[in-house]
Order: sequence, then C-alpha cells, then structure tokens
Amino acid sequence: MPDPQASLDPLDRPPWWRDRRVVPWLVQGVVALLLLVLIAFLLGNLVHNLTTRDMLLSWRWLGQTAGFDISETLVPFNAEMPYWRGLVAGLANTLRAVITGLVGATLLGTLAGMASYSRNGLLRGLTRTYVETIRNIPLLLQLIFWYFVVFLSLPNGSAALQIPGVVLAKSGLYLAGLGQGMHWSLPQLVNGVWQAPLRLSVEFAALMSGLIIYSGAFIAEVVRGGIASVPKGQWEAATSLGMGWFATLRHVVLPQALRVIVPGLNTQYISLAKNSSLAVAVGFTDLYSVAETTLNQTGRALEVYLLLLGAYLAMDLVISLLMNGLNRFVQIRER
Amino acid sequence: MTSSPNNLVIEARGVQKWYPNGYHALRGVDLSVHRGEVVVVMGPSGSGKSTFIRTFNALEGSIRIDDISLGNDLRQIDAIRREVGMVFQQFNLFPHLTVLDNLVLAPTLVRGRSRTEVQAQALSLLDRVGIKEQAQKFPGQLSGGQQQRVAIARALCMEPRILLFDEPTSSLDPEMVREVLDVMRQLAQEDITMVVVTHEVKFAEQVAHRVVLMAEGNVVEEAPPAQFFKNPKHERTRRFLDQIL
Amino acid sequence: MNPLLRRLRADLFATPADGALSLGLIALITAAAVGLVQWATQRAQWAVIQANSTLFAVGRYPADQQWRLWLLTALLTAATGVTWGLLRCHPRADRDGTLWPRNDLVVLALLAAVAFWLPWVLQLTPALQSRWWLLAALLAATRWLAGRFGSQLSRPVLRLFPLVWPLIYLTGMVLISGGLGLMPVSPSQWGGLLLTLLTSSFAILLCFPLGVLLALGRRSDLPLLRWISVIYIEFIRGAPLITLLFLGQNILGFLLPGGLAPDRIWRAAWVLTFFAAAYLAEAVRSGLASVPNGQIEAARSLGLSYPQTLVRVVLPQALRVALPAMVGQFISLLQDTTLLSLIGLLELLGVARTVMANPAFLGHSAEVYLTLALVFWSCCAALGLGSRALEKRLDPQTLSRSSSQP
Ligand SMILES: Nc1ncnc2c1ncn2[C@@H]1O[C@H](COP(=O)(O)OP(=O)(O)OP(=O)(O)O)[C@@H](O)[C@H]1O
Ligand SMILES: [Mg+2]
Repeated sequence: MPDPQASLDPLDRPPWWRDRRVVPWLVQGVVALLLLVLIAFLLGNLVHNLTTRDMLLSWRWLGQTAGFDISETLVPFNAEMPYWRGLVAGLANTLRAVITGLVGATLLGTLAGMASYSRNGLLRGLTRTYVETIRNIPLLLQLIFWYFVVFLSLPNGSAALQIPGVVLAKSGLYLAGLGQGMHWSLPQLVNGVWQAPLRLSVEFAALMSGLIIYSGAFIAEVVRGGIASVPKGQWEAATSLGMGWFATLRHVVLPQALRVIVPGLNTQYISLAKNSSLAVAVGFTDLYSVAETTLNQTGRALEVYLLLLGAYLAMDLVISLLMNGLNRFVQIRER
Repeated sequence: MTSSPNNLVIEARGVQKWYPNGYHALRGVDLSVHRGEVVVVMGPSGSGKSTFIRTFNALEGSIRIDDISLGNDLRQIDAIRREVGMVFQQFNLFPHLTVLDNLVLAPTLVRGRSRTEVQAQALSLLDRVGIKEQAQKFPGQLSGGQQQRVAIARALCMEPRILLFDEPTSSLDPEMVREVLDVMRQLAQEDITMVVVTHEVKFAEQVAHRVVLMAEGNVVEEAPPAQFFKNPKHERTRRFLDQIL
Repeated sequence: MNPLLRRLRADLFATPADGALSLGLIALITAAAVGLVQWATQRAQWAVIQANSTLFAVGRYPADQQWRLWLLTALLTAATGVTWGLLRCHPRADRDGTLWPRNDLVVLALLAAVAFWLPWVLQLTPALQSRWWLLAALLAATRWLAGRFGSQLSRPVLRLFPLVWPLIYLTGMVLISGGLGLMPVSPSQWGGLLLTLLTSSFAILLCFPLGVLLALGRRSDLPLLRWISVIYIEFIRGAPLITLLFLGQNILGFLLPGGLAPDRIWRAAWVLTFFAAAYLAEAVRSGLASVPNGQIEAARSLGLSYPQTLVRVVLPQALRVALPAMVGQFISLLQDTTLLSLIGLLELLGVARTVMANPAFLGHSAEVYLTLALVFWSCCAALGLGSRALEKRLDPQTLSRSSSQP
C-alpha cells in the first residue's frame, strides 16, 4: 500500500492513464469517438437508404401543387396552390390555436390559482377537484371527448344551444360582435342557417376547450405555487392595513408571486404550444396535420420532418425569449 | 518513498494553488508534520487555511512542490484519501444513513472489511466519543455537537494515519464546543497525528505541539504554543493575536 | 355552537357575498351531480363496454392464449402482496406493530370490492368472475403471509427480494410475446390496457437509468459530456411527442440498416423511452442540485471512489428529493401512451376509437370515453398517492419528527 509520503515525492510522475490531468480528456475523447461513430453510422445508413430510393434531400416538391384543401385558414389556400403555401396555412392555424390557447389558459389558470386561496372553502375544494381531475386524464382523451361527445352532439338550426350573444350549434360556434358597417350584431338564424360576425368551427372550439382547460389546470398550480411563495406576513400586513382579500391578492401578493410564476409559465406555455399538435385528433388542420398529409402524398419524410421540427423549435424559442424578457422585467421591478 | 529518520508524515514545500477563476490562494506554503504531532493552524479569514489542509486530502488540485506538479496520480490520490481522515466545519454527515451506517459505509466499501466486524468497531468508537445510544438514529435527529462527534468517529473508523480538522467547532453553539474539544483532546493523547484549523486558543495552548499562522496564502510563523501566544516573532502574528485574544 | 357548524360558517358564509357564492356553487354542483347520476343510470347504455371488455383489456390477443396473461396477472398480484407485506414488517420506528394497520385494511377492502363489483358490472362469465375473486384472495393471502412471517426472513433474502420484480418483468415479456416453447403472439395482436401498460412500464423502466445518466452528464465537469446532454435534453423537450413518434415510424427505418428496425410497437416504445428520459433528466437534475457539495467532499475524503460516492451518497439523496417530480413525469408518460393511437396502434384509446367506428355503438361515445377517463384517472391518482406515501416513508425528517415527539 502506498504511503502518504509517496505523493509528496518530488519525482512522482504518474503514468498517463492514472494522471488526473489526462484522464478527463481521455474520457471525453472516448465519448466523442463513440458519438462520432454512431452519428456516422446513422447518417451513412440514411444517405444509403435515401440514395437507393432516389430520395436524397431535395426541396423542389415544395413548389408542386398540393391537391388538398384546408377547411378553415387565416391565409388564403386552396388545392391548386403549392405545398409550401399549405404548410404556411397550417403554421398560421397552429399560431392561431397557440395564441388563443395561451390567452385563455392564462386567464383560466390565474383565476383558478387565485380561487385556490379563496376564503370560501367550497371554491377552494372546487378548484382542487378541477386541477386533480384534469391533470390525471390524458389531454388527447379530453380533446376527443370535447369533439366527439360534446361539440358533435350539439343540435343544429333553431334547436341550437343559445346563450345571449353566443350560439352553440353542430355547425359551429357563433359569437356576437361588430358586423358589417361596424354595427353590433347578434347571431341570427337565416333560412335555418346561423349567421354571425364571428364563427368558430367546432374543431377549433373543441381544440380550444381541451387545451385551455388542460393547460389552465397546470397554470393554476403554477400560480398557486407562486402565491404560496409569498410570506404569510405580507397577507397579514396588508389585511392589517384594511385591504380586502382581492385587493391584497391583486396589489400585494401577485406582484411578488410573479417572480416565481413567470418561469413556471414559460414551461407551461411551451408545452401548450407543443400540445397544440394534437389538433390532428379533432380534425383541426394545423401544421402537423398538413405535414402528415404532405408526407403521405410526397413520401418526403426527412424534409417534412425537418420543417416540422424547425417550426416547433422556433416557436419554443420565441416563447422562451418573450418569457425571459418578461422575467427580467419582473425581477428588476422586484428590487 | 522518503522515509525520514524523524518520522516525517507530511512534508509540504512550496505548495501553490490557483483556483479555476485564477485566484492565487496558496503562494508557496512550507510545512512539516511528524508522526503523533498535533499542529494547530490559525490565521485570518480567507488566508487559505481550508485550502491548505484540503490539499493533504487531494480535494483541491494542482499542488506544486518545488516547481514539480504533484498529486496528479489518481491511484495515489485514492491512497492518500484512504489514509487521511477529515472533519468538516459543517459535519457533512450522510443524512440518509443512520449514525451507525455513516461509520460503516466507507470501511466496508473501500477497505472491503466485513460488516459485522466494522459494526463492532463502529460501536466502540461511538462509545469512545460518548454517543453509543444514538447509533440507530439519523443525523438530523442529533444536536450539532453530537453530529460533529459522529463525524470524528466516522473519520476514525477508517483508521487514518492523519486526521485533519477544518474549524470543527465554528458552527457549534458554545455549550457544544466543549464536548467536541474534549474528544479531540483525548485523541491527541492517543498519539494520532492531527492538523487542526481552529481559533480555540485554549485548545491550542494545551494540546498543540506547534501553532502555525497563515496569512495571504503563506505560512508566516511556526512556533510551539507557549512562544506563539506569549512571544511571537512576527508583527503579523502580533496583529492577529490582538484581534482574537 | 357545534365546531362543525362554526367551521362551515367560517368556510362558506363568512360574508354575505361569500354566502351568495356558496349557495350558487352548491346549486351548480348539485345540478351537475344529479344530471350525471341520471345520465349514468338511465340514459347511458353500458353495453358498449360490456360487449367489448376483452378488446379493451387485451386487444386482439388470441383467446386460446389468454391464460398466459392471467398467469402473469397472478404473478404480479402475488409479488405485490408479498412486497406490501414485507414493507409492513420491515422495522421502522414510525410504524405501529400491528399486522394489519387500518389503512391496509381499507385498501384491501377497496380492492376486494373492485374485484367483486367489476366482473358483475362487466357481466363477465362465471369462469372469469371466479378468476377475479381468486386474484383478490391471492393478494390478501400473500399480504398476510408476508406480513406474518416476513420478519423471520434473513437479511440476504430480504435484500435480494426486490430482484423478483425484474424477474417477473422478464417472465412477463416471455409470457406475452411467446417463445421458449410458448406459441409466439405477434405485437400487432397486443392491444388495449395490455399495450398501454406494457409500453408505459417499458418506457418508465428504461427511461430511468437513461435520465439519471443524462442528468449526471448535464452536471458533469467535463464540457463534452455536458454539451451532449444539454443538446439532447433541449432537442427532445423542444419537439412535440407526436413529431417524435412520427420520426420513429417514418424515419427510423432509414437510419438503421434494412431489417434492423424493430416492430412498430417497439419503435413507439423506444421513442417514448427516449422522450421521457429527457424530462426525467430535468427532474433528477433538480434533485442533484439539492445535494450539498460537502456530501461529495466528505465521501471522497473517506476514500470512496467517484462511482461509489455517486451510488451510495449522492443519488440516494438526490432521487429522494426528485421523487415527486419523477413520479409526475411517469404520470405524464402513462398519459402520453394515448398518442400511440394517433400512429395507428391499438392501445386503450386506439381500441376505443375502433369500437366507436362500429355503427352498432353509434351515439355511445360518452360512455366509452368517460370510462377511459376513469381508468386513466385512477391509475394516475394511484401513482400520485403512492409517490406521496413513498416520499414520507423515505424521509428521515418525518421519522425524526414522529420519534422526537413524546
Ligand atoms: N472554489 C473557489 N474558487 C475561487 N476562490 C476560492 C475558492 N475557495 C476559496 N477561494 C478563495 O481562496 C481564499 C482562501 O480560501 P480558504 O477557504 O482557504 O480561506 P480560510 O483561511 O479557510 O478562511 P476561513 O477562515 O473564512 O475559513 C479566499 O480568498 C477565498 O475567497
Ligand atoms: Mg475555511
């Protein structure tokens, strides 16, 4: 057994495989080598398999006529237009779903998070039930439920569900709004067909119901955690100044809780953006479902996949950048 | 191997240490420790005491002695760690193991000894530091003084040749300091080589063979306790003593 | 005043506005509950579940081979019972010494009730019903035996017992897929709950070591390992699962030499594994960050090697802290298996969608989807409850609290 003095021997020069200056680089070298071999193997196969099929990376198909239609689009699109226009229309639909979903889920989640600190025991219990129920049921199942069980079983025509200003029918959701000539107008039944300034398809409505209620539950937990991070003394101080429950929450607690809430929101927003790809299950034509159709028609798996991945990574990046900006703003204001 | 006639256990000459951020923490420290000796290291905060005694345990890297890099042989580093025990300011007991398992873990894993044998030894060590009854408890259930005594027993259980203490009493309440110092005193009488970083002057006066003052990454003064405290040679030592006495 | 009444008043009727809100909520909840019960008992037709219960359970698994699945269920039940009993008789200071603590009896009563009620509701044949009862009896018996005699087992036996689980898993694989003299059943015939549980358990088991390695890599001092881990984790977390499943189905075949690519189901299972590993790594990383540096220094100064330090000192502490987050990931993994239905695999939701395509069951999708929701909810909630119980059991702090109180 080596003596401790041995290491203090001025002539100690360890062999390289035991030298602590060498070993870390050795480990990394081996890992790098293995990784390179793996990548080379996979890429080699990819190139080999694609060249034998004559399908090596090419983007010319993007200009070919798509030949499929998209039922609801923000940017104009029809079957005669090229694939790339279809993908753009799909992206626009995804963005529409994500942005609407973000706003809705934030509102619902914040309300539910605040309600879980309510004085009213019933309300607290109800929000807990909401969160615990929704979080333990798969989102896809919820979306399918909303679409097939709720929205597709709505009646049509005059039997449609009517709330003042809103009509829920199998043919769509009709909302009151500013119509032609900037007049406020309500949904109307014209020849058995509903007409209104704002119409949402049931597919979009189902997607939004599912996404907002699902993400809302997670955001409620984030908000609740944020509120919990504010010391109890703050509540007591504000109450002793005569502020009510809502005023305390709104002016004292929430501003401080934001420091904890904003990073949590970032995660939830990104997962909402990714979850929007489940739209394909309820027949809403988003980026993913356009990509799937395109793949089935052209067989261009790799290119379609790269586009799809690039779009989602870019979306995540934008959300993260915005939320990091917001985070910085919140943290500075804190001081 | 340099086995000197007078039983030199630690011989550090010109030890240098740079932290990754470029800070030059040790600037040529010289120190020799003989078998059975108790050396107390003192010095102002940030002078490099912790850094220095951790070099013995190879927890810090890039030691250089006389311009030759040392301590880069992984096998020797492991060997040193087996032979050198260390007691930390923050105890660093393993919270997920019982007190007994804290002691048993290393001897069984590192020295490959049988569990029953080590357990018997561990119990007698716990008895020696006065907390045999707590063997089955978890560290979180003990007081600070008890935890530090467990930490000492844990280090002893590896039967080290040298025991290093880095401010073992600094994070203890005053009434617990004594129980830990008593254990250390007892150890000192048992001929264990000890290097102790501490500001307990009384302990140094009674137990130490030598007291070392470190400042700005250097050893400034090295003397027997009587001389160190009553009649220091260096101006820097005098200033330091003025502050702590 | 009655304390219950006082509590109610403080909770529900503290102010007039609160009172109004409470009354409104009570009315709403009552209406919803009454509506649901009326629907479930009068309008709903549960025949769609009863007629397809086998399909939901195992998909198109050949009927003459289903005894293998029953055998596997029996093995799992016995192992659960023994583990449960051993956990109870393992000495812990915070445990009361009774053979059957109250919550154990409650759990057993619940399970027995399910074992009686479920076959009845599903209108199973008497032969199948008796199998359910036998399983319930097996669970109770093994639990009792292990609780009664477990303390007499020697230490090595107790330490080796957890190995029973991987053994059962391997046996289960053989039983399900055939081989070793059993008739092979191709993966395309697996389905329903069987496929859901198989893919999720496979992914959970394999993503765990992978996630721990990635987390260690991300915190490593070696820049290359760190960068590889970061790129992998962020790449996976940036992409929706469905695009990765898409990758597995459409592109994996190109990345491997011809014939090497596994079956569609296994491809999906591997994608789930690699997907979950990235999320698990983040959970484990937060646990690793919570272990103070002093722990590593202490272990190293005692002479433990780096792997020993990791396995004996760092990971036990880190994983305990990471446990709730990890179980959260396992829960979402279980839910994520539903996405397999989007790539044409017949797990629970996939089976449900094929059943709904049958015109005979038109208009009864609510029954099917609500039942699925209940199944998933119970599984996930049980996992969550289990994790909380395990967390408490593993935490030495709760132990200290319970024993330091006189
Ligand atoms: N990991 C590190 N990286 C960079 N600088 C460090 C590191 N650890 C310590 N230092 C610096 O090295 C110097 C010596 O530190 P050291 O901990 O050895 O001092 P000390 O004498 O033990 O002080 P104290 O009495 O406060 O414990 C200090 O200035 C400290 O800031
Ligand atoms: Mg120090």
